[in-house]
Amino acid sequence: MEATDFELVERVRGGDDDAFRLLVERHSRSIYRTAYRITSNAADADDVVQETFLRAYRSLSTYDARASFTTWAHRIAVNCSLDLIDSRKRRDAKIEATDDLSEIASNEASPERVVLGGQMQRAIAAALKQMSGNERTAFVLRHFEGMPLEEIGNILGIKTNATKNTIFRAVTKLRERLQPFTGSASS
Amino acid sequence: MNHLTQEEIVMAYYGEPFAHLDGCEECRAELGRIAEVLDRVEAPDVPEPDAEYEARVWQRLSWRLRGEKKRARRTEWMRWGAVAAVVVIAFVAGLLWKRENRADAPQNIAHRETPSPNVPVSNTQQQRDRILLVVVNDHFDESERILVELSNLKPEEGLDIRPERDRAEALLASNRLYRRTAEGRGEESVATLLDDLEPVLLQIAHTPSQLSADELRAIQKRVEAKGLVLKLRVVRASVRAKSAVNYQQPNV
Repeated sequence: MEATDFELVERVRGGDDDAFRLLVERHSRSIYRTAYRITSNAADADDVVQETFLRAYRSLSTYDARASFTTWAHRIAVNCSLDLIDSRKRRDAKIEATDDLSEIASNEASPERVVLGGQMQRAIAAALKQMSGNERTAFVLRHFEGMPLEEIGNILGIKTNATKNTIFRAVTKLRERLQPFTGSASS
Repeated sequence: MNHLTQEEIVMAYYGEPFAHLDGCEECRAELGRIAEVLDRVEAPDVPEPDAEYEARVWQRLSWRLRGEKKRARRTEWMRWGAVAAVVVIAFVAGLLWKRENRADAPQNIAHRETPSPNVPVSNTQQQRDRILLVVVNDHFDESERILVELSNLKPEEGLDIRPERDRAEALLASNRLYRRTAEGRGEESVATLLDDLEPVLLQIAHTPSQLSADELRAIQKRVEAKGLVLKLRVVRASVRAKSAVNYQQPNV
């Protein structure tokens, strides 16, 4: 029978690195997906996966078996992704002009000529880029992953009400960005 | 009628129940407008990694874990090195103490109890003081270097301060011993500075190896608030001067 995550963690704590390899093989793909959705970049998502398992290895002594290993590891991954976004944001202080929807909209004479599908995706990507790390993570976890608010709050270290407010701010930014396509803006 | 807030309508979209929506067409319309936007926001396609992905992750990771283990072993050695140094110092100090007690015959005690400013302190006393001053001076020197390095770092995410953290951890054990010794010997300024230094070394020793900008700022603020670098320089200068005086004083 396949060992549970908890059994593998216990084996790693006892010095069995092979058990850690099994944990990595079991969870790296799903952590990669979450990291990709937050960072929107394959190379960054790869780095997040590495950093997540490295941090997990160092902190295994603090891992509380009451939480599932998946949740715990994803929590580390989200924090790593946020760290990475923060450092990237400082470097790329401005969103690239090509991602700016207002420019796209003004260049296009008629909305009918806009190829909606591709432009929408670019607008969504630009809106996600414009969000703060917390806003983007809360939105991604709620909207794409369907994670409960309490769990998102736990990951971000904020209360449920603050989580709601963070998601609301993210949605507002998204609506503003997508307004030319939908005709509805946040009031 | 109190309508739902925009935030509540967004939460309603994500499944939070609001009875108000049943009877309010206006709020339902707003929910529809929000849904019109959010329904179109689909999860971006995640490029699916190939079948070898897990193996590649492990290969890269296992290489880093080996480095991690080496570093852990080195820290362990540094810790034992610090303990060994402390034991040697304690042993030498004990020998000198014993020798001095033997030399402290009753006739000498009377002499020592009425010291004259012109009479130099005993040879063994000088030697003990010199040992303390030399090791404390080295300790301050190393601590100052760590604090200056951290104070000069630009706060940004993911700073790797493992070398400084390991050095602070090694200094922490000796810091406690020197403080107690300095207190016992009446070296008030040295003991006070060691007392100020201890929580900062403790904070550095317990930081994660990848430091966030806020964590670094907190350390820098603490060092600056206590004026630790300046204090270290001042006390080190005085310790050096004392050490030189003790060294130059003629033997009895």
